[in-house]
Amino acid sequence: MLPAPDTIETTRPIDQSPGFWRDAWRHFRRRKLSMIALCYVVFLCLVALFAPLIAGTKPIVCKYKGQIYFPFMGYYLRTWENPVFFQDRFRGEYPKPLAEKDPESWAIWPLVYQDPYRRIRENEWPGRAGNPVSIEGKPSSLNWLGTNQQGFDVFAQMVHGTQIALSVGFMSMGIAAAIGICFGALAGYFGGWIDTILSRVIELVMCIPTLVLILALVALLNKVSNYHLMVIVGITGWTGIARLTRAEFLKLKQMEFVTAARAMGAGWPRIMFRHVLRNALAPVLVPITFGIADAILIESGLSYLGFGASPPNPSWGTLLHSGRSAIEEMWWLILFPGLAIFFTVLAYNLIGEGLQEATDPRLRQAAH
Amino acid sequence: MSHRPEPRSTRRLALTISILSLAVFLANASGCGSGENTPAPAVKSDSESGAKAKTAGTAGESKAATEEEEEAAAKPFVLGDLLEPFTPPSLEDVDRTAEWIDRPVLSGAEILRKKQQDKGPPTVTAEQALKLKNDYPKNKENNDIILNSVGRLAPADGAGVDFDATFVRHVSGDLKSTNPIMISSITEFEYQSLAGFGYLGFDQELNYFGSKDSIVSWQMSKDHLIDKIVLRDDLTWSDGRPITAHDVKFTFQVIMSEAVSPPAVRQGIDQLKWVEAYDDRTIVFFHKAALATNTTNIGIPVLPKHIYEKTIAADPTLARSAEHSRLEDHPVVGGAYELVRRERNQEHVVRRRESYYMHNGKQVRPKPNLNEVRVKVIEDVNTALVALRAGQIEQVELRPEQWVSRTNDDEFYARNTKVTALEWTSFHFDWNCGTPYFSDKRVRHAMSWAFDYDELLNTICRGLYEQSRGNFHPTSWAFPKAGPTPFRQDLNKAEDLLDAAGWKDSDGDGIRDKRIDGRLVPFEFTMLTYQSETGIQTATLMKECLSKIGIICNVKPTEFTVLTDSQQKHKFDAAMGGWGAGTDPDSNSNLYMTNEGRNYGQYSNAQIDELFLQGRREFDRAKRAEIYGQIHNILWDDQPYTWLFCRNSFYAFNNKLRGYNFCPTGPYNFDPGIFGLFKPSASR
Amino acid sequence: MVHYLIRRLLLGIFTLLLITFVVYALIRHMPGTPLTTDPAMMNPSRMPSPEDIERRAKLYGLDKPWHIAYFIWLGNTLQGDLGNSIPKNNAPVTRLIAERVPATLMLSVTSLLLTYLLSIPIGLWATVKSGSFAERVVSTALYMLYSMPAFVAALYLQLLFYSRLGWLPLFGMRSDNYETLSASAQLWDLFKHALLPVICFTYGSLAYYSRFIYANMQETVRQDYVRTARAKGVPPARVIWHHAFRNTLIPLVTLMGLTLPSLLGGAVILEQIFSWPGMGRLYFEAIGQRDYETIMGLTLMFSILTLGGQLLADVLYAIVDPRVTYN
Repeated sequence: MLPAPDTIETTRPIDQSPGFWRDAWRHFRRRKLSMIALCYVVFLCLVALFAPLIAGTKPIVCKYKGQIYFPFMGYYLRTWENPVFFQDRFRGEYPKPLAEKDPESWAIWPLVYQDPYRRIRENEWPGRAGNPVSIEGKPSSLNWLGTNQQGFDVFAQMVHGTQIALSVGFMSMGIAAAIGICFGALAGYFGGWIDTILSRVIELVMCIPTLVLILALVALLNKVSNYHLMVIVGITGWTGIARLTRAEFLKLKQMEFVTAARAMGAGWPRIMFRHVLRNALAPVLVPITFGIADAILIESGLSYLGFGASPPNPSWGTLLHSGRSAIEEMWWLILFPGLAIFFTVLAYNLIGEGLQEATDPRLRQAAH
Repeated sequence: MSHRPEPRSTRRLALTISILSLAVFLANASGCGSGENTPAPAVKSDSESGAKAKTAGTAGESKAATEEEEEAAAKPFVLGDLLEPFTPPSLEDVDRTAEWIDRPVLSGAEILRKKQQDKGPPTVTAEQALKLKNDYPKNKENNDIILNSVGRLAPADGAGVDFDATFVRHVSGDLKSTNPIMISSITEFEYQSLAGFGYLGFDQELNYFGSKDSIVSWQMSKDHLIDKIVLRDDLTWSDGRPITAHDVKFTFQVIMSEAVSPPAVRQGIDQLKWVEAYDDRTIVFFHKAALATNTTNIGIPVLPKHIYEKTIAADPTLARSAEHSRLEDHPVVGGAYELVRRERNQEHVVRRRESYYMHNGKQVRPKPNLNEVRVKVIEDVNTALVALRAGQIEQVELRPEQWVSRTNDDEFYARNTKVTALEWTSFHFDWNCGTPYFSDKRVRHAMSWAFDYDELLNTICRGLYEQSRGNFHPTSWAFPKAGPTPFRQDLNKAEDLLDAAGWKDSDGDGIRDKRIDGRLVPFEFTMLTYQSETGIQTATLMKECLSKIGIICNVKPTEFTVLTDSQQKHKFDAAMGGWGAGTDPDSNSNLYMTNEGRNYGQYSNAQIDELFLQGRREFDRAKRAEIYGQIHNILWDDQPYTWLFCRNSFYAFNNKLRGYNFCPTGPYNFDPGIFGLFKPSASR
Repeated sequence: MVHYLIRRLLLGIFTLLLITFVVYALIRHMPGTPLTTDPAMMNPSRMPSPEDIERRAKLYGLDKPWHIAYFIWLGNTLQGDLGNSIPKNNAPVTRLIAERVPATLMLSVTSLLLTYLLSIPIGLWATVKSGSFAERVVSTALYMLYSMPAFVAALYLQLLFYSRLGWLPLFGMRSDNYETLSASAQLWDLFKHALLPVICFTYGSLAYYSRFIYANMQETVRQDYVRTARAKGVPPARVIWHHAFRNTLIPLVTLMGLTLPSLLGGAVILEQIFSWPGMGRLYFEAIGQRDYETIMGLTLMFSILTLGGQLLADVLYAIVDPRVTYN
């Protein structure tokens, strides 16, 4: 028997469902470790963005001959550094020429006066010694994390290299995941001759040696950047993800919810990407998160073998490999980049774990 | 859903595949395989009339009938078919018309021993020298002291030498072939110096002489067109047969056969018109032209004729047939050491053979000091150094970083020492004069003025090298008396020169540019460099220097193959390169003469061309020195290269070793080279 | 199933042809030939004449256009002749590969077995103890291992076990006196030489595989049937192993299929450090020297293994999971 209308308590209006991603974010927020990892990654992003302000040899803002300039922009793009400094023969150094050519000039300097692309010479900054080289480049008050064999400051290199460290992983894995998931999903879901053709394509790409592709590309370009390399790594590295996705789809397409969705009239893209994919992501997430971190190590391996980006390339991986020939004496070249890589690997994997648990409704239950 | 696949689709697929396979087999039938080894009649060497010998031409046609297309590998082997037919005169005619000049026949060990004795006794004993720390370049004396005392050769009678000693060496590349005419890398070269039979050598000053251990006399005709060598009669191969002049002639003909493909030795030897063996001991070399460089061409590596004349027709590549493969691992050698063990990519071991220094029961040559030489292959230089420090290997060539950082502590000196010596290997930037950037001499000078040599030598090279003063080394006889002074960085001069050459920043973006053919071309170029640390660091330094004066230089470390290929095709703007020294200054002619093979930068100067040709034809040392001095100064003025630095050799040796000495091409190339090394016997 | 296998095998042959064709086209279009870095060109005092260079190119068939050369190679291969390596003094490619197969297998098979033997228990244990402090510590330690590059680990291990302790040899596969040793001593010698390379080969994948298993298990243990099994009173170990783990086998099988080709792939840097005569170094050198024959021989071998691995994985899917069918 229904209660009489006026005895129904006024209920709270039903909250609109926050939506899948909002909900996931709420759950993600609750995991402490994942949040710490996320904060770390955000911190790295800030460091990458403001690298020239943290470590650099170009003033952040300076007044020269009555005009205000922002020379530090030259670190982002060469043309953003005003040509007046070239015409007045500054020769790329600021401290002494600024004072000499215009006694009324002033400048605000970055936090650390060091450059990732060259060695600071004697008296470049009045009264300061030049960077030591080789095994004398221990961490010191001038070079917080030491210098490499050629005398380039490690701290400056790590700061400027953060941008590379962050983006290479996302770029290569982004491409790999996009291609791999698409191919794998299509192959697994449709089966039949589509599966046959796509599987052959996957096998073809798997068997072509990556090194050959990298060499062919490097031979063509005049200036190799990390991004070129990572696009190649992405284009050749999607096969594992494709196979994993395909296997999951082969299994999942028999499930009842797929039949139900089809009965409701959903088209195949909708079924594939909205319904099946979410359930198929679990095994794929691990290669992706490891792959993002792995990209840094791949980049360092490539630069060691000689196919890296055009020097000077201030990346963590290059630093790591430059320490190879003096591993006992120049421990700082291994320790600091190694720690940074370790924390980044850890962070990405914690975020991945958190993402998995936040997006999978089943995982929100306790396991026991 | 049915579980049975559609039978039709499978059949259709099978049909497609079969058609495809058929197509492949058809292609195979029309294409040509590399050919099986067909037995062929033994090659007849040419008769004394010198007519070109032909094998039974059927050797080629008797191949598998399916192959119609002729491929070079299936070409019949004809001994010496690259030679022009030539009838050598009789020995009496030669002796009558030659007006022989005697050339030196010496022993390298004796020369060096005398030189050392002339220096006087060493200032310290070897044991004391080994306790010193070699802190070159801070202090150059200790290095000289160590070399002077530890490098003393053993006395001629072998007193104090441990003749049963084993020497464990390190190389970074594996021995690819034990065949004397298939030398292709340093490792093979060093192996041949131990196991190969040779009769020509050069001393520490790169002066050539005939080796007293192999020949009796060496004479040259007055017109410089003929050389005559008389071999000793007590030379034997390791299988007991005697080494004769016919072996030398046979090897010459093999090298000059089209079907044979020796990687490196043909060059120079193809400048010989003919080699004739008049009897078992007399060899006469006929040259095509009277050039000062003829001397180096008569040093031919020697194959045992009695073995290879039977096997070569079947397999001219000397590597593929079963017999040749067996010979690879069990070669018949003519040198002092024979191969006893070969494990590919790991090591090879050679042992002294008695039949080298004993003949009919009597000792006829000095007994080589070392009983056994083990050569270990370790590609990674760090691993090799760790092994040296632990005493597992006894010699390592050091990289500059290792000299500076990992060989200074007590643990290293407990078992080893290290020495350095001058080498004539120099490094430079090669400017492609065919590009709009570097065609102007002023721009090239500006590049040389812009570079920061102090930073290069003190920081990148850690003070270990000297700055280069041009093409020839100051210690070479070809260096001019009033040689040029090296550059020092002067950015103002560089900028003025660039302005004068028309490269100014006209559009105000901070980068120099110039209007060429109506287009505004910015001064941005790519510098190719090696993948080695020094190469990359040097090029990066140049990039830094050039960015200060408004030039963008993109550094591109390149694979060696691509680097060489780009240079040969002149498809580069600038490249970093290095050359080792040849023994004769004329070897540089292919670097600078117009359109020569190694003139990668397309440099051309008619005067230089003329001078090099003159230098070849001149035989007087003093006059040649003047010619090459002129060349040196003109090159310095033109700056086709920006010469950077000259490299030293750095070696680490175990304390037990003595007798190592260096020449400008390394410790093992000259006479006595590795034969000077010994380990003192315990009683000493 | 049999029809499926036949179809796959035929397709495999076709794919193989396609792969070899594409790879050959790629390497022939890279700048440089096997003769570019020929030592004849490197000797500073002697320069080969242009005729000589042409002669050598003709001798090796390098003057032919690449598509003709491909069919020649194909024809030879079908007759069993993989060609000869030009930069390595005409050494037959089959011999070059055969020399290195045992060494590579010894390293990679051992490493693969170790990885699976260790990472499965670790992954399962992590699932059971998920969220606990011990599990966090172990996971963090594994990440630390993963982020340490191989050469760092190799060099430090060498310093420790060879320089300081002297327990293990530094490089190579065998000791100098290997031939004189008894059979058991030989085995021990091989073991000592292989230990450090195997460790360096393995430790990195431990983290990856165990996290992989963990991630898949996380999903599976929350399924309803697992809850039912627990409710029924099935012992926890049996729940994990017998019920849950089996259902994560499909991704694991995929992974195995993907790692099969790496069995003979070798690791370039590790082989260089330990002077281990393996395939990775051969492949790397061959590419650098533009050694077409060797590259094609190795590519053929790897491709066969890859295709075989995928076929094996696909067949195993059908066996392991009855829901998977091929039709």
